[in-house]
Amino acid sequence: MTALKTASLAALVTGALTGVLTTGTALAADTVKIGYQLPLTGETAQYGQDFRKAAEIALTEFNAAGKPFKAEIVFEDSRSDAKEGTNIARKFVDDKEIVGVLGDFTSGVSMASAQVYKDAGMPQLSQTASHPDYTKISKYQFRNIATQAQEGPYNAKWMLSKGYKNIAVIAEQTDWGQSVVSGFTDGVKANGGTVVFSEFFNRGLKDYRSLISKLERAKPDAIYTGFFYEDGAQFLRQVQQLGIKTPVYSTSAAYSPKLIELAGEAAEGVHLTSNFLPTDPAPHIQHFVTEWKAASNGAVPGQFPAQAYDAVRIMLAAVEKAYPNPTREKVRDALAQTKDFPGVTGKTSFSADREAEKELVKVEVKGGAFVPVAD
Amino acid sequence: MNVSDLSAPRRGQGALIPLLLALLVFVGLPALLAGFDRGYFYQIANLALIFILLSASMHLVTGVAGLLHLGHAAFYGVGAYTAALLSTKFGLGFTVTLPLSGLVAALIAFLVALPTMRLVSIYFAVATLAIGQMLYLVMLNWVEFTKGPNGIIVTKGLELFGFSLSGRLATYYTVATVVALCVLAIGRLSHSYYGNALRSIREDDQCADAMGVSTARLKMEAFTLSAFFAGVAGSLWAHMTGYISPGDFKFSESILILAMVVVGGLGSLPGAVIGALLLILLPEGLRAFGDFRNIMVGLVMFLSILLLPKGLLGEVSALQLARRQLGAAWRNTVKGEGIGWR
Repeated sequence: MTALKTASLAALVTGALTGVLTTGTALAADTVKIGYQLPLTGETAQYGQDFRKAAEIALTEFNAAGKPFKAEIVFEDSRSDAKEGTNIARKFVDDKEIVGVLGDFTSGVSMASAQVYKDAGMPQLSQTASHPDYTKISKYQFRNIATQAQEGPYNAKWMLSKGYKNIAVIAEQTDWGQSVVSGFTDGVKANGGTVVFSEFFNRGLKDYRSLISKLERAKPDAIYTGFFYEDGAQFLRQVQQLGIKTPVYSTSAAYSPKLIELAGEAAEGVHLTSNFLPTDPAPHIQHFVTEWKAASNGAVPGQFPAQAYDAVRIMLAAVEKAYPNPTREKVRDALAQTKDFPGVTGKTSFSADREAEKELVKVEVKGGAFVPVAD
Repeated sequence: MNVSDLSAPRRGQGALIPLLLALLVFVGLPALLAGFDRGYFYQIANLALIFILLSASMHLVTGVAGLLHLGHAAFYGVGAYTAALLSTKFGLGFTVTLPLSGLVAALIAFLVALPTMRLVSIYFAVATLAIGQMLYLVMLNWVEFTKGPNGIIVTKGLELFGFSLSGRLATYYTVATVVALCVLAIGRLSHSYYGNALRSIREDDQCADAMGVSTARLKMEAFTLSAFFAGVAGSLWAHMTGYISPGDFKFSESILILAMVVVGGLGSLPGAVIGALLLILLPEGLRAFGDFRNIMVGLVMFLSILLLPKGLLGEVSALQLARRQLGAAWRNTVKGEGIGWR
């Protein structure tokens, strides 16, 4: 028994160490490496897997386009865990060939990793990190997502123009949910409306009925919501079950075909904003949609994969601009100069504080599909 | 097993192994780390050290006293939040926040322990689960005080009386020194008459009570002490990473720490240390296997419990403890009808 114990112990620890010590193989001179940290396993794996798929589409295109160099993306799984995120960040920083990093998915992991990238001078572009302080960490943090400081007031004006003066707000209890409520509330107040109710719920809540009835007691003209599609579908179904007809508005984060798939009829009439329309006939958008469908059994891409696809292409464009001899500093400067990048999520420019400036589109769910509306 | 064997110093090797370990941690490893000079290895070494402390602190409650603790990460979080809030709101440095983090975590553990420590077996486990969730929800939802899900950026790094220790090697030495001292203290606690009193609770709390051991008080002390060390680990994490949010201290972290103690071997301090090393190094080492690495980590844990029910270096069997904690109704044989629930 003791011998077995000792042997198995030795084997395990050695195995773990060898793995840690193994380093990547050397690359040919005309290859540039980018790191991508994202949750490929764990509770948020569905998002990370989508990002990888989108990144691979972008990468294949780039490498097939006859550019002077080939690009390579190193994917590392962070499990949406800050511990793993910082480990990966150190690993990417150690690899001298990596000139830029994409990710992470959640703001929490992105910000913990950003502490490493800040000190190392590594440009970091997240497709989704929405924490108000993320880009303030250092000049190396960028994001390719419209913040709630931009989307909130936009939606507030939209709802007020429809005559809804008393609005109830609910959002998930995350940093993003906090910014949804603050961004929207500021917008409503500035334009003469009133927020009559605001509350947070924990992600993954199964029963929204008590929240919904509490909300209805405030007699709102409309409900503004900050959730992702899983929570959104639950919420909408329960709103329908309770027979409530108050109009529901939401953010671009809920913009996913899976919302309609999971909520079914209950999603009818939901209004939300988006900066990606898979039905847009523009050739570059249709190209992405076709590629995505081919890679995912005909499913239509949602907002997040589109943002990831654009983020990868923006990063690759910056690397190309910094080529030959791209350095982390040169890539950072090239990223900062990004102006009117023609992405599938609209034209993207980075402002002086490295925030993505995007155009938003108004969308309504009609007949089981997202339909753009004028107002 | 004769309980007195467990704490008797083994003559001859008593001083040699700790000396070799100290040499490894303070000379061998730093030399290796400096040789490779890669931030990634430093990061993993520091992370492993912090989890060694967490695992060792839980060992005191779960391993030695035999109480299933499902909320340990919350005290780790209390420590981290204490350090982060003291440093951002009052500008205090690591030298001050380190002991305070431990003390605040211990104080909170003491307060929540007061009404709960008379509970036994599964009721104790559920109470600690509830305590952990309550503290987590406070970190998440008390937005005005903890900044809630927004987390806190900790700008102050490691330092000693104002002297910065934020270089790679200095960080490693700081973390290693703090962890080594704490583990030493935990070792002294668990291998002493005091530790034996805790073991008597694990083996038979009613008997211990009848012999005059104050079980409720001892449980409270072990719980509070373990929270103190978890708090210290939290302070290290907060100053080392520079950003904390409630997600770092959720239930799954408690389970991770519990798994370290169980895989390493319940009741054994070296086991707790090795369990922590294994569960931090293995997922990193298996990165090359991509999406399968978590399955492989799970497999290693499963096999180690199946084949080595006492863990790698265990004193008691994890299965026995689980049965005693979770199922008073579990029987090894019910009149020749095999094992099962009554």
